[in-house]
Amino acid sequence: MDDQGCPRCKTTKYRNPSLKLMVNVCGHTLCESCVDMLFVRGSGNCVQCDTPLRKSNFRVQLFEDPTVDKEVEIRKKVLKIYNKREFDFSSLREYNDYLEELEEIVYKLTNNIEVERTKRIMEVYQRENRDVIQKNKAKLTHEQEELEELLLLEQQENEQRRLETLQEEQRQLQAKRKSKQALLDELERSHVPATILLAQHKDRATQLETQIEKQKQVVKTTIFSTGIPMGQTVSLQPVVRIMEALYSYQPIDIHTYGPQVPDLDQLGRLGYLNHVRAAQPQDMAGGYSSGLACHRAIQDAFSGLFLPLG
Amino acid sequence: MKLNIEGLLVYFPYDYIYPEQYSYMLELKRTLDAKGHGVLEMPSGTGKTISLLSLIVAYQRAYPLEVTKLIYCSRTVPEIEKVVEELRKLMEFFSKETGEKNNFLALALSSRKNLCVHPEVSSLRFGKEVDGKCHSLTASYIRAQRHSNPSLPSCRFYEEFDALGRQVPLPAGVYNLDDLKDYGRRKGWCPYYLARYSILHANIIVYSYHYLLDPKIADLVSKELAKKSVVVFDEAHNIDNVCIDSMSVNITRRTLDRSQANVDTLQNTILKIKETDAAKLKEEYRRLVEGLKEATVARETDIYMSNPVLPDEILQEAVPGSIRTAEHFVGFMKRFLEYLKARLRIHHVVQESAPQFLKDIFEKVCIDRKPLRFCAERLRSLLRTLEITDIADFSAITLISNFATLVSTYSKGFTIIIEPFEDRTPTIANPVLHFSCMDPSIAIKPVFERFQSVIITSGTLSPLDIYPRILDFRPVTTASFTMTLARTCLCPLVVGRGNDQVAMTSKFETREDFAVIRNYGNLLLEMSAIVPDGIVAFFTSYIYMENIVASWYEQGILENVQRNKLIFIETPDAAETSMALEKYQEACENGRGAILLSVARGKVSEGIDFVHHFGRAVIMFGVPYVYTQSRILKARLEYLRDQFQIRENDFLTFDAMRHAAQCVGRAIRGKTDYGLMIFADKRYARADKRGKLPRWIQEHLTDGSLNLTIDETVQLSKHFLRQMAQPFRQEDQLGLSLLTLEQLESEEMLQRIAQIAHQA
Repeated sequence: MDDQGCPRCKTTKYRNPSLKLMVNVCGHTLCESCVDMLFVRGSGNCVQCDTPLRKSNFRVQLFEDPTVDKEVEIRKKVLKIYNKREFDFSSLREYNDYLEELEEIVYKLTNNIEVERTKRIMEVYQRENRDVIQKNKAKLTHEQEELEELLLLEQQENEQRRLETLQEEQRQLQAKRKSKQALLDELERSHVPATILLAQHKDRATQLETQIEKQKQVVKTTIFSTGIPMGQTVSLQPVVRIMEALYSYQPIDIHTYGPQVPDLDQLGRLGYLNHVRAAQPQDMAGGYSSGLACHRAIQDAFSGLFLPLG
Repeated sequence: MKLNIEGLLVYFPYDYIYPEQYSYMLELKRTLDAKGHGVLEMPSGTGKTISLLSLIVAYQRAYPLEVTKLIYCSRTVPEIEKVVEELRKLMEFFSKETGEKNNFLALALSSRKNLCVHPEVSSLRFGKEVDGKCHSLTASYIRAQRHSNPSLPSCRFYEEFDALGRQVPLPAGVYNLDDLKDYGRRKGWCPYYLARYSILHANIIVYSYHYLLDPKIADLVSKELAKKSVVVFDEAHNIDNVCIDSMSVNITRRTLDRSQANVDTLQNTILKIKETDAAKLKEEYRRLVEGLKEATVARETDIYMSNPVLPDEILQEAVPGSIRTAEHFVGFMKRFLEYLKARLRIHHVVQESAPQFLKDIFEKVCIDRKPLRFCAERLRSLLRTLEITDIADFSAITLISNFATLVSTYSKGFTIIIEPFEDRTPTIANPVLHFSCMDPSIAIKPVFERFQSVIITSGTLSPLDIYPRILDFRPVTTASFTMTLARTCLCPLVVGRGNDQVAMTSKFETREDFAVIRNYGNLLLEMSAIVPDGIVAFFTSYIYMENIVASWYEQGILENVQRNKLIFIETPDAAETSMALEKYQEACENGRGAILLSVARGKVSEGIDFVHHFGRAVIMFGVPYVYTQSRILKARLEYLRDQFQIRENDFLTFDAMRHAAQCVGRAIRGKTDYGLMIFADKRYARADKRGKLPRWIQEHLTDGSLNLTIDETVQLSKHFLRQMAQPFRQEDQLGLSLLTLEQLESEEMLQRIAQIAHQA
């Protein structure tokens, strides 16, 4: 980064560490003093590409590659217009296509390809979708909302943890002080030998410690039983509409190209069933009847082998 | 020996067995029966490995449908080799006993660097170079290009393997790394790919932790391993750190510069391809519109292990429109990089959570969370489409994209710390962005979820209840086993005072204290006079060791010590250390012994064993607390407290004590071995520290060996060493700590064995 420098006065960051590089909409760099000198009147042309520029549009260059600065600038502008969200589309595929279109516009504007035409397309889009753009202006995308939620949660947790440790420390300090005082009092008054008292005291101290530890283990609940975090705005996203044609049943039409097959219930009457094995009771339990097999066999036998030509 | 473990026939390749091994196998069998996870602690040198192997192999034979595979994870290559050797012994014993031909396939897997047989590639020195070179010879599109242009270089081993190797499975047997290489050379097949392919149908796999825990590697190697496997993590006392390291990302200015170069290359390649072969990009685009359906199907059908870097949301949705085309994605990466660069240009330390980071990045460069989440996957797809040959070059941008995916996926369990300089050199600007994982359970969760039984075992896992808590799983068995000894061959002593009654401690306030340093010196001097052969001394850190050794030199202590023994010192440099170690061993062989000064958490403390005369005494100077001022550690402690209700002090003590136990455990590597363990810090005498040592050390730590002065220590040590120096034969052990089959089956012994396992 040390070899970054102003293309006009050739000062580099190495020679002047406080050098401030600026970049304008065309994506060409100038240092701050050059900007002040060249744009005294508030506007002028870019030294490198002759684009008319305004002084107020100069920004501090954030990135090493000025084209990235330019692209981000353009992208922010485009995103203000193209601000449809995922739920404005009926399918993911359409949303992805839309994203690609957006990307294409940014790409063209950054690389100066068909700038005028692209700008026109943008204008048309803006006119057509004015309502949606207005509506979406205040809305965050779904993902951003998630992020915000996470951040909030994190903050809350940190705060809570800080408070807890603070309280814990105080409580421990107090408890220790109290037990020490109690020991001193007892030593003063009691007639029991000091060693026993000390041992008792030690026992109590360990008990206290285990108690404190146990308390620590208890984790406080931070969510309702429904799973919604406490004190949290609930995002009410509309459910994605699914547009699909309903399924409608169409009976299949079969051409057998052979003699007519008798119906299933007629088989017995026509005497076909006399020639097949009668169904056993254990077969019938599953819904089988000898007519089924017979019908199937007749269907196979009667269907024509060859398709009639023409 | 043939054993009957609750109705299971186990072949044990030795004639004698330790009672604790039997007990260990009992617990292990119960764990496998319950199809649950287990935590088992058994002292080093009591044959953990062979007990594990023989029981699980027997189980596999008896219930081939219940347990199909054993995955044995160890830490280093020598350890992997050791396991394979034990396994070979077991298999030979088995075929000798039964007369059947062994039909088990067991193999070790390691990196390309250890397995490559290609003459040029294998001569490269670094693992990364080998990987890169191999990839440039064997990647699928390179091989496709070769069809049109046969002059391109190729790896004939891989080509041969690809043509023939998959048809015939590797014949049954036990293969270590060298066996694989031999087999590969003989057949002309690439051993690395052969091993990687063969682990899918092998019965036993032995490899490193990282193949299972590091999401990047696990995704390539282990994701198709069968569900009904038993996973064993040996020497797992550091497993939480391995998990954390595998998920953490550190980004420096250099990483950013390199990934900037990567982005430029990507852009150029895209331009070139657009002119020559626009259809390829179109094809990729079409696939991305459709979504990552294939991966979803695979995961749903449960073929793959889930990958923490590839969250489920990604699989259900298509890549968002804003990064669908290649140019837009490159623009996106550019913005992301510039944002990171801007963030690294700071002058004070910043710590923030993932949501804060995401909010800031949206405000500054308008990057949403969703495309970030898809970043890693999108980059992988682009690299594949562009057919980039040298993947190794793109490690920087891959790292960045992994970071993007992780930061947008996990809102909890990670923290971002940006430090403008290192703590030691506050004047030199060297900004680093640490994206550090604080929750080891994230990386290991897929393993627990996927595999039927996971066994975590080591010599030092005390206190046992903390591992299930920090790794977030519910074990069905947790047990600690002690060493049954025919003679007390270990002698832990806590030295708390010098001869002048000044307390000895490495506490921060008294670190520089002249009296403490002198007392430490006197202790070493006295021990060097009475201990035969080698002494290993551990310090808490390199800096502390430097300070102490310098003032010992000034006080003339070193000179006196050197009258008794030679001194060797471990340094942060690996080559120097291995040299020192070699010379130390040579000096020990020569009879008068030597002293090795080393550092807890260093290389020596973790992987090197000091058997018999190489380590007759270990002195642990101070309590090896981790550097507590590090912000990453602080964040982790806070997280542990909030999420797992583990107090800072508990964890720090636990961590310090497991390292101390590792250090002193270096000296005892078996029942015939003996050694002094000297804890030179008065804080070891406290119940909270002592209680966290492994049970097998605690048992021998009596009230009489606490808070000793140097004189008393010398007396006790002399007595102990004289006793131990008596000849010790196997017959002395028999029936007490070493059992034959008949002894094992006696009623009385079985009763005693039941008491060995200490249920936590």
